[in-house]
Amino acid sequence: MTIILIEKYGKKILELSGEIDMNASPVLRKELMTLVKKGVTPLVIDFNNVSYIDSSGIATFVEGLKGMMAFGGKLKLAALPSAVKEIFSFSKLDRVFEIYGSIDDAINS
Amino acid sequence: MANGSEITISVEYLRGTEKKIEALKALIDMSALISSTLDLDELMQLVMEKAKHELQAEACSILFYNKEIDKLEFEVALCKEEATSDLLKQKIILDMGQGIAGWVARNMEPLIVNDVRADERFFDQVDKQTGFITESIVAVPLIGRCGLIGVVELLNHKRKEYDLELFQILCKQFAIAIENALQHKELVEKERLRHELEIAAALQKSFLPESPFLKKNNVTINAVNISAAKVGGDLYDFIEPAENMLGVIIGDVSGKGVSGAIYMSKIISDFKYVGISVNSPAGVLNRLNTLLAHAPHGMFVTVIYMIIDTITGRLRVSVAGHPPFLLLTKDNVKVMDVVSGPPLGILPAEYPDTVLQLDAGDRLFLFTDGVFEAKNKKGERIGYERLVEFVRMHGNASSLSDLVINYVNDFSKDTEMADDLTMVEIAFANNA
Repeated sequence: MTIILIEKYGKKILELSGEIDMNASPVLRKELMTLVKKGVTPLVIDFNNVSYIDSSGIATFVEGLKGMMAFGGKLKLAALPSAVKEIFSFSKLDRVFEIYGSIDDAINS
Repeated sequence: MANGSEITISVEYLRGTEKKIEALKALIDMSALISSTLDLDELMQLVMEKAKHELQAEACSILFYNKEIDKLEFEVALCKEEATSDLLKQKIILDMGQGIAGWVARNMEPLIVNDVRADERFFDQVDKQTGFITESIVAVPLIGRCGLIGVVELLNHKRKEYDLELFQILCKQFAIAIENALQHKELVEKERLRHELEIAAALQKSFLPESPFLKKNNVTINAVNISAAKVGGDLYDFIEPAENMLGVIIGDVSGKGVSGAIYMSKIISDFKYVGISVNSPAGVLNRLNTLLAHAPHGMFVTVIYMIIDTITGRLRVSVAGHPPFLLLTKDNVKVMDVVSGPPLGILPAEYPDTVLQLDAGDRLFLFTDGVFEAKNKKGERIGYERLVEFVRMHGNASSLSDLVINYVNDFSKDTEMADDLTMVEIAFANNA
């Protein structure tokens, strides 16, 4: 997995690629929680190049979401490939997270 | 001049020989010290005392190279004042190239500085923080088989004529000894962890039902649980919440390893308590969701909980983000995607009950995602649809779980098992 932090229209976007599994999750957690603790909101996660996410990866986003909710921040997941989207919808996590079809949708919402 | 059998030896020659003998003795002493222990802390104390004594130095310290942050950290310091040693270890980290030690680490060369005030490489912040007054430094890199380990520093040494080359040889031996001790420490630690894991695995298993097989009136249950690691994050349990009622839970905790196992154990114990006192599956999940709200690291659990009337086959089920279970009837396999809430432990939610009626011969197949997310060598996963297809083809088999295990094993041949597999088969025999 690789993680790149970019900025678009003044909004922070975390671009992820590869598999977010139990090996990658601790690295992601460090990046994500640093941004959450800094109060970066909204934070958009670009899933475009993510091929798979396991439960430890989802737990990392759950922690990020809880951290955001504590101060009224927004965590937006965007551009999920269908296989990844299925994992979220299968476990009804699409009701927990704000999920957007594209980065632009996430930014403009 | 030689005269007959007499030999004349110059004083310089004798002094030279004496020095060599002394050096040899120091080397032998050091070798003996180094091979006397595999305990890293003890080894460093012994060697530093020896080095301090050899050079008649006031203080001695070892800085370890931390590869991850590319900096030098004080590992041991032998000073007159213990407080100074503690201060060094707690507070001071040097960049590569910073100070004499940083220079030695970066250049991997030894250095003797007899007057540090005249050397611009000297980093006086350490003295300022500790109150120690450094006058001279002998610094030698510790280079092991895998590169730089750290730097040994001797401060304010009185024996200025000491042979640096000899000290370097001693440091080489010392570096090898440190590496050996580190490896030994790692092995001991691994062994300790392995032992701890064995205990954790045994404890975790004790939270699962004693027997994976249960028969009550018209209902027969058969469960299989295989952990990918020694301890796993899957769970299942059977309880009897009321007369002729059977409660069956299956779940999958996010994350694996010891943290997953502890979380799983908490869920099972909460479930055992709540399951007996609350008589609807939705009520149990709502209560568990509240109890699990403060799990660390975003941990959550997906769950299916059902209560079956073992006489009539009437069944109530509530689902929290768990993959749909299958209903196998005489001529069909149906994916039971009943109304579900999100996994437990994430957010406040309302979990509804769904009511089903089992007919004679019906079977239910509940499983965790480890079954259909098994990966083959090419990185492909079985997938939920393919698993359902497999069950459709082999639905009449007496032990579906065994067939599925073989299927998963065949599919993921030559790959490491990544997730736990848990399956619960429930058969309803009679529509009395």
